[in-house]
Amino acid sequence: MTMTDGKVLLEVNNLKQYFPIKGGVLGRTVNQVKAVDDISFVIHEGETLSIVGESGCGKSTTGRSIMRLEKPTGGQIIYNGEDLFALSKKEMRRRRGDIQIIFQDPYASLNPRRTVFQTIDEAMTIQKVGDKSNRRQDIGELLKTVGIGEHQMNLYPHQFSGGQRQRIGIARALSVRPKLIICDEAVSALDVSIQAQVLNLLKDLQRRFKLTYIFISHDLGVVRHISDRIIVMYLGKIMEISDQKSLFNNPGHPYTYALLSSIPSTKMDEKKARVILHGDVPSPVNPPTGCPFHTRCPYVFDQCVSEKPVFYQIGENQSAACHLLKNGKVEFKNMKSPG
Amino acid sequence: MNELVEKDVILEVNNLRTSFYTDEGEVKAVNGISFSIKEGSTLGIVGESGSGKSITSLSILQLFAGTTGKIIDGEILFKGENLLEKTHKEMMKLRGNSISMIFQEPMTSLNPTMTCGEQIAETIRTHQKLSKTETKLKAIEMLRLVGIPEPEKRIKLFPYQLSGGMRQRVMIAIALSCNPDLLIADEPTTALDVTIQAQILELIKNLQKELGTSLIMITHDLGVIAEMCDFVAVMYCGKIIEYTDIRTLFNSPKHPYTVGLLNSVPSHEMDSDEDLKIISGTVPSPYDLPTGCLFSPRCPHAKAVCHESMPELRVHEDGGLVSCFIYEHDKWQEER
Amino acid sequence: MLVFIIRRILQTIPVLIGVTFVVFIMLHLMPGDPAVVIGGEAASPETLAQIREDLGLNDSVPVQYFRFLSGALRGDLGMSMRNRDRAVVDEIFDARFAITVQLAVVSTAFSVLLGLVIGIVSATRKYSIADTGLMLFALLGLSMPNFWLGILMMNFFAVTLRILPTSGWGTWQQMIMPVVMLGVTGTAVIARMTRASLLDVLNQDYIRTAYSKGLAERKVIFKHALRNALIPVITVVGLQFGGLLAGAILTETVFAINGLGRLIVQSIANRDFPMAQGAILVVATLFVLVNMIVDITYKIVNRRIDLN
Repeated sequence: MTMTDGKVLLEVNNLKQYFPIKGGVLGRTVNQVKAVDDISFVIHEGETLSIVGESGCGKSTTGRSIMRLEKPTGGQIIYNGEDLFALSKKEMRRRRGDIQIIFQDPYASLNPRRTVFQTIDEAMTIQKVGDKSNRRQDIGELLKTVGIGEHQMNLYPHQFSGGQRQRIGIARALSVRPKLIICDEAVSALDVSIQAQVLNLLKDLQRRFKLTYIFISHDLGVVRHISDRIIVMYLGKIMEISDQKSLFNNPGHPYTYALLSSIPSTKMDEKKARVILHGDVPSPVNPPTGCPFHTRCPYVFDQCVSEKPVFYQIGENQSAACHLLKNGKVEFKNMKSPG
Repeated sequence: MNELVEKDVILEVNNLRTSFYTDEGEVKAVNGISFSIKEGSTLGIVGESGSGKSITSLSILQLFAGTTGKIIDGEILFKGENLLEKTHKEMMKLRGNSISMIFQEPMTSLNPTMTCGEQIAETIRTHQKLSKTETKLKAIEMLRLVGIPEPEKRIKLFPYQLSGGMRQRVMIAIALSCNPDLLIADEPTTALDVTIQAQILELIKNLQKELGTSLIMITHDLGVIAEMCDFVAVMYCGKIIEYTDIRTLFNSPKHPYTVGLLNSVPSHEMDSDEDLKIISGTVPSPYDLPTGCLFSPRCPHAKAVCHESMPELRVHEDGGLVSCFIYEHDKWQEER
Repeated sequence: MLVFIIRRILQTIPVLIGVTFVVFIMLHLMPGDPAVVIGGEAASPETLAQIREDLGLNDSVPVQYFRFLSGALRGDLGMSMRNRDRAVVDEIFDARFAITVQLAVVSTAFSVLLGLVIGIVSATRKYSIADTGLMLFALLGLSMPNFWLGILMMNFFAVTLRILPTSGWGTWQQMIMPVVMLGVTGTAVIARMTRASLLDVLNQDYIRTAYSKGLAERKVIFKHALRNALIPVITVVGLQFGGLLAGAILTETVFAINGLGRLIVQSIANRDFPMAQGAILVVATLFVLVNMIVDITYKIVNRRIDLN
């Protein structure tokens, strides 16, 4: 798969997305949740970039911000040389044809009173895709592509199973011929056997239509399977950006390492050493000073509390924000936790 | 596998059938299953949605209030006594005392209008004769046991003031407060983040070792099964299709469904860019189950015999139980 | 919590000012000249002019409103026009207020008690004959016009059976029919609300948890389910109580009870503007205050609702 040779499709610069908390007698903004706090990354044409992290880390908000479903607090999103945040609502609506999103719960995002045909037809009409006279045929083709029978075109969402509904969601996204699809926990609600089917479908479609994916998920197994590159987020900040192989074989950030080691292993004969993190993720309203991970990090030292770490390049396609990396890459496997 | 039926068995379920009744008809949620658990060991029940794994757990405690669920047939022997012959009163004495349960959603499984301390104390009060102060001390002790810092303060908190992981710890404290012989955990970590899941699984494992509790772990997550269990029952459409020890299950799974399930999980340890080997099709509707083997419409190896009759759960040569004609050589060979 | 209470109390101030304004404008727009009411049809133009001058009716509308408002703030709602020695405030608070509040409180108590019992019985015996019967009864109570029920009752119990008095207020016999007439809608609403809310709560995960602890059904229902089920019911009770004040106008008229409701009807018929204005203002204020108290109670009971 192409990864570094592809040209940049989308560039996120210093994205910030804060949500106000109202309070007090007068209902003023007393504080804010920094859901996404100053993150930057690029995505290349044709690759799958995953964003992983635990709940509240800001991964879904990032996806929604790129779609401009939220009013951005700050930053730039550069697509095809123009800043999406600078576009008017009307112009943005036209760009939405290029960038589509698929959500976790396909049932909630499909109108229950519209047939599959009506739903997809509407999407195509809004984005002025294809010829109206060929609509039935086009949609039939499209449904076949995602594994739904043409004859099921006139059924309603409730007549399908969860996996099939997710396929319809994918068909709707595909119908406007997007370049980038954001999959927000798109397979999380599905049973494993169905999840596997949908993952294979997504891969197949990527090959056929040269799609680019931003794949948002909490499931590292799924992420490993589908990604070229991976962003690990924690409390609204990026901890590590890495290509898939380096991240899983040799994680650069202690948080990534802990995350990987928390996944229950199905390998019977090689029980690995585990890092179990203590405590909960801190509240994004009052994030810790310095490194956001320092309250749970097994390798924490003074500097982590006082100073925000910068990104260190630790491999060709791997960088992480951790003070430990000052002098180069660290092998967490061989490291004793000082605590 | 013979060790499964030796005499220190704490729970033995024989031919259990549980149905629900809806406008569309009867749903045979659990359709004749048998298994047993040795004292102090952990049995995993794994399956996808609709497999009947959760209904199995509810059947053991007969928790069907407000639903149309009903146990039709079978026996549930707990320490040799059939729970299905017990009166309401006797069952009440058992629940939360000798057998207790932890549920999937820590967000909704605690009463939002009662403090955590009160919810623990309630169980203690129901089953033990302790004074008010003793009850309170016991509740605090339970919170400390499940690793909640500053338990004296936390007992006064309401569930909404705690994180998901903390709530699940409170649920565990409630379940263990009367030192049960058997703990049933129904997807206890499904709603939690991985790092919190790791904490909770570790906690359950340690407490189980410390207290000698037997455990039934119900989950859809094969990783959790691998981490926690000694034996596993794989369920599909209300039936157990494979029942074996954990090593055999992961090292040499027998039933085509089990094999498919293991292949479907994108493992973070897998090193490949290739597609997942998938099970085609979907779980059949409970109102319209296929004839013959329930997995036959999706099975890559299915032959005519599979569509005609349901294979029995038989002992395989390496000790496990599997219900598949592939392992009934006489029938399988004939087909060719 | 304190912040919420303070905010909620502060919120009622503009509402109350709005109420005075609406009441003032409403009566101001009503046909009829107060001066003619006081002076009589035969009064000379000079007398009428004098009366208008005395009452301040020649001032501009805003001036009149602010005079009314500042009076109201000082507890002075003016003098009755029919009986010029009687202060409106005295008439309302000495004679009428207590009766209407009594009527509303007793009716609410009646609705709450009966409604809860019906709701609980129905919910715990879902789809039984008792449930169907009780819900039919509740539907009947909801759809039958109150005054019609009042008149039917009066005809049957007072005229035919002669076991209850037709009118008045004071003895318990006199209270029965007005309380039933006024409370029946509330009973039906509370019963249906309790049933729906309890059924919803009984399906919650924590009810299953409660059963799994070994609690008896009675304990699960009263300790775990009802506590949560009553939260939405509280709001309904509050709204019903407010509604009762309006319903009191009808009830008091049907049963000739000299409460605030009847006072409003009488003084409008008599074109006694200050009296009507005062009575409506008191009823409206009461409504606003009750709602405020309900909101605060709701908030305290349901600590999960966040500050927004």
